[in-house]
Amino acid sequence: MRRERREGLVTALMLAPSVVVLGVFVLMPLCVVFAYSFALRDAYGGVVPGFTLDNYRALFEGLYVQVFLNSFRLAALTTLLCLLVGYPVAYFIAFRAGRWGPALLVLMLVPFWINFLIRISAWVVLLGRNGLINAALVGTGLAGQPVGMLGTQGATLAGMVYAFLPLAVFPIYAALQPLDRRLIEAGADLGANPAQAFGRITLPLSLPGVLAAALFVFVPSMGVFAIPVLLGGGKSIILGNLIVQLFLEFRVIPVGAAVSVVMLVLAAIGIALYMRALARIEAWR
Amino acid sequence: MTGGVAVRLSGVSKRFGATLAVEGIDLAVREGEFFTLLGASGCGKTTTLRLIAGFDLPSAGRVEIGGQDVTEAPAYRRPVHTVFQSYALFPHLSVAENVAFPLRLARVRAADRRLRVAAALDLVQMGGFADRRPSQLSGGQQQRVALARALVNEPRVLLLDEPLGALDLKLRKEMQAELKHMQKRLGITFVFVTHDQEEALAMSDRIALMHAGRIVQVDAPEALYNAPVSRYAAEFIGETNLLPATVAAAGAGHVVVAAAGQTLALPWSGPAPEAGQAATLAVRPECVLRGDEAAAAADEGLALEGRLEDVTFIGSDLRLTYDCGPAGPVVVRVQNRAGPGPEPGERLRLVLPRAALRLLAS
Repeated sequence: MRRERREGLVTALMLAPSVVVLGVFVLMPLCVVFAYSFALRDAYGGVVPGFTLDNYRALFEGLYVQVFLNSFRLAALTTLLCLLVGYPVAYFIAFRAGRWGPALLVLMLVPFWINFLIRISAWVVLLGRNGLINAALVGTGLAGQPVGMLGTQGATLAGMVYAFLPLAVFPIYAALQPLDRRLIEAGADLGANPAQAFGRITLPLSLPGVLAAALFVFVPSMGVFAIPVLLGGGKSIILGNLIVQLFLEFRVIPVGAAVSVVMLVLAAIGIALYMRALARIEAWR
Repeated sequence: MTGGVAVRLSGVSKRFGATLAVEGIDLAVREGEFFTLLGASGCGKTTTLRLIAGFDLPSAGRVEIGGQDVTEAPAYRRPVHTVFQSYALFPHLSVAENVAFPLRLARVRAADRRLRVAAALDLVQMGGFADRRPSQLSGGQQQRVALARALVNEPRVLLLDEPLGALDLKLRKEMQAELKHMQKRLGITFVFVTHDQEEALAMSDRIALMHAGRIVQVDAPEALYNAPVSRYAAEFIGETNLLPATVAAAGAGHVVVAAAGQTLALPWSGPAPEAGQAATLAVRPECVLRGDEAAAAADEGLALEGRLEDVTFIGSDLRLTYDCGPAGPVVVRVQNRAGPGPEPGERLRLVLPRAALRLLAS
């Protein structure tokens, strides 16, 4: 056998396990969801194979559009906050933390070792009427009575930023860390004060990381459901809750599948836009 | 008081943790001068340049640019620009935008900016590359753009940190001539850092030779080569023969030394050494006379008997190593005349002419 062909075969064999896993556990369920989104429903909530566009048509009813808008707004706000908080953190770790940088990154990951729901439940305790924050506020006399924080949009956002912040910090750090410090020195040499050097050199050069961070936060934020329910009191319905409810409570699985497919398509569009923006930035180097 | 001084360092030291990078640097670079900081790597020349640029602040001493004290001023407030060895062009900006960078910061109006960017790019012969990205240019082209960017808003002083270090030999020679020419034409003060002595000799008006964080000697290239004041200077620049000698007597403006069983009076301007003190004589290989030339000048210097040990062919020259017994080996450089050269084993008389001998205090 020729060497070239043999190398091709080796590559294929090495890829095989991942291809199988991805095919069985990711692609096939996606196909099932896709098929369900065109299926019919029987009186008992079962799925009847068939083809109809009614499930998609249903999405244009007022309720669903509002849910999409709610989700979009929450995801956009979360992304914005994560970028605003995450950039300085990443900047500090990359430029100022010195040898402590890697340790700080690991610390950011520590909470991930604890189950997501438990961490969010901890926030319930923290923000509750008899929670730590209220106890401190009342105890120090800053507030006469407990402040109702749980069940507000602020609580939801706090939980969202808490959950997704590392996803913003890591890509921004990855973009800042290899940045050639001599470029910033050159900027100063040519007359740029620290703010100008940041705006004209550091920020534009870290944009790929910022874009990746936005994507990493925005996409899962669109699908989140536990945080708004636990911290926001489930007052505004968003896509994540909607899908759970459609599947498990109302048992209109085909419509739930249609909502999922639309979300998937939106995420794909987001990723495509990101890739295009990245390609444009990468053309610089 | 500061008439004609572009950069003045007074008693400047810089400490990084436990190491002293430069110590007690006193330097006055004249207006419009091509001034070079020369030295081996780690001698403190780049640190000195960074202290002038303001990237680092001195631990002690005072830095003045154009008569103004800038010791504590940050880099962006100093009227100097730097050409970096790594070029440090901004990868996200085009060539023209790179060159326009300092003009934008100085709030130069767009129309004026375009004209000056075009002029600067023409100056470095990069006019046709305005819209390229730095990554699309060769090293030499990037170097030219870096130069245009540093020159575009006419700094008082241009600092160059081994700017030609990354170029290949032929291109480096071309850029040397071009830089020198440009400096004369623009009349901007250049402070140039290099470890390449030939480059320093060829380009500079004056050279500061540095060693171990200190300045060894500041002089014009000819003086530095012909009249080194220390053993380090004599050995660092070019090749040199060093012979052990003893001070026999010291008079006004001269010193009598004994070497190789002969005595010889040499001019001396420093503090008079004591008789009996050990000293070193230095002579350049190309100044040593041999054979017929030596016979004619026997009384005009130090005469040695030597046996030719080794002949090295170096193109335009031959490098001959003679064993001169107790005086040690003496290297002689003669021009290659394309005929049959001297053969190892020949014995003859060498003369180290008085005019070419330098007495170094040791």
